[in-house]
Amino acid sequence: MREGKTSGAAVSRANLVSLPHADPPHGQDHLTWAYQTHVTAIYQYIYSRVGNRPDAEDLTAQVFMKAISGMRNDVSVPELRSWLYRVAQTTLADHWREYYAEGAGELDEDVTRPPAPRENPEAVHRVDALLATLPESYRRVLELRFLRGYSVRETAQELSLSEANVKVLQFRALNRAGRERGRMS
Amino acid sequence: MNDDPEQLDRHVDDLLHDRKPERTPLSDEDALRARQTAAMLRAAKPGAGLPSKEFLERMQGSIGGWVGEQSARPQPAARPSRRSLLLTGAAGIAAGVAAAVGVERLVPKAVAPGPAQALVEKGAWKPVKALADLPQGTPVAFRSGAIEGFLIRQGDEVKGLSAVCTHMGCILNFSKFRNQFECPCHGATFEITGRPTDQYDTPLPRLPLLQVRIERGQVEVYSV
Repeated sequence: MREGKTSGAAVSRANLVSLPHADPPHGQDHLTWAYQTHVTAIYQYIYSRVGNRPDAEDLTAQVFMKAISGMRNDVSVPELRSWLYRVAQTTLADHWREYYAEGAGELDEDVTRPPAPRENPEAVHRVDALLATLPESYRRVLELRFLRGYSVRETAQELSLSEANVKVLQFRALNRAGRERGRMS
Repeated sequence: MNDDPEQLDRHVDDLLHDRKPERTPLSDEDALRARQTAAMLRAAKPGAGLPSKEFLERMQGSIGGWVGEQSARPQPAARPSRRSLLLTGAAGIAAGVAAAVGVERLVPKAVAPGPAQALVEKGAWKPVKALADLPQGTPVAFRSGAIEGFLIRQGDEVKGLSAVCTHMGCILNFSKFRNQFECPCHGATFEITGRPTDQYDTPLPRLPLLQVRIERGQVEVYSV
C-alpha cells in the first residue's frame, strides 16, 4: 500500500464530485447508481491501455453506452461489474484494430487478461517489473520521458545526447520493452 | 509504412500531453506493442489516469439518460425490487458496497448510516490473516474473494472495515502519518473508525463494517 501520495487536506473541496440527490422518482435510479459507481474504475482500466485522456474518455463513454443498451435491467451488481469489464475489453480490442488498421491483427494479451480490482497499484508494479528487464540506458530514457515527464530536449540534456539520439534510444527502448512485455504476459 | 523514431516520438508526445494520437497505419506487431507499452508507461506516472471531475459529472448525466432509455424498452424478465439488485449473490463486493451505500443516500431516512449493516448475505467465513501478524492499532489491507477491506487489531479484538470509498467507489489507502483513510481519486478522507472527516461540503456515508471473527488464531472475514 503506497502512502502519502494524496494528502486529503491538500485536495480542494472542488475536487469532490457532487452526487445525484435523494428523491428517486423512478425505479431505474438504483441501476443508474450501480453503473455510476464503476465509472472511475473502468476509466482507469482503459487509460492504462490507451495512455491519453481524450481516448480514455471516448472509450469509457462508449463502454457504458454499449453495456447499458445490451444489458437487461434486473442485473445483479457482480454481473454488472464483470459485464462492464467484458465490454471494455472488446471495445479496446476494436479500438486498436481500427486505430492501426493496417497493423498487426493480433490482440494485446492484456486486453483479454481478467482485470484486477486494484488496477492502479498493480499497473505500477507491472511497470517496475518491466523496466527492470531493460538495459540501463533504455530504462533511463523511459523513466525520464514517461515517469518524470521530461521533454525530448530535457532528456537530451540530462543524458548528454542529441535530441535525435534520444528519439532513437526511446524507439529502441519502447520496442524492446514491448517485446519483453509480450514475453512476460 | 515502417515505424521510425520520429513517428513513435510524435505518438509519445501526444500521450505525454494527453492528446489523442494521430491514426497511423502500422507496419508490424512490434510497432503496435511499442505503442501499447507507451500507454502503460504513461498511465504509471503518479497522478495520471484519473478521470476529471467534468468527465465524471458528464458521465453521471449520460448514464441516467441511457438507463432511462433502456428501462423504457420492453424487458424480457420481470423487474426486480431494489433489494434484489443489491443483494443478489454478492452484495458485499467492492462495487456492491458502493452501490448499496449509494441507495442509502438516495433514500436518506430509510437506512440509518449506522454501523454493523451486514454487507454480505449467503457468504462464507474465509481466513485472511493470522492474528499474530496484525500490528496493534494499524489497519492492514486485505482482499478476500470480492471483499476489499482493512483489519484493525485492538488488543485481541479485530475490526473489519470496507476499503471502498463511499464517494465514487475507489479503493482507499491508509496513511500512517495522518492516521486516516485517504481516497486517491477525489481526496475524501475517513477516520480510523470509518467515520468520514468533516472537511467536505458533500456528506459521505461512513465506511461499512465487515463481519470478522477469530478462529484458532486466524482472522476470518465473512465474504463471497
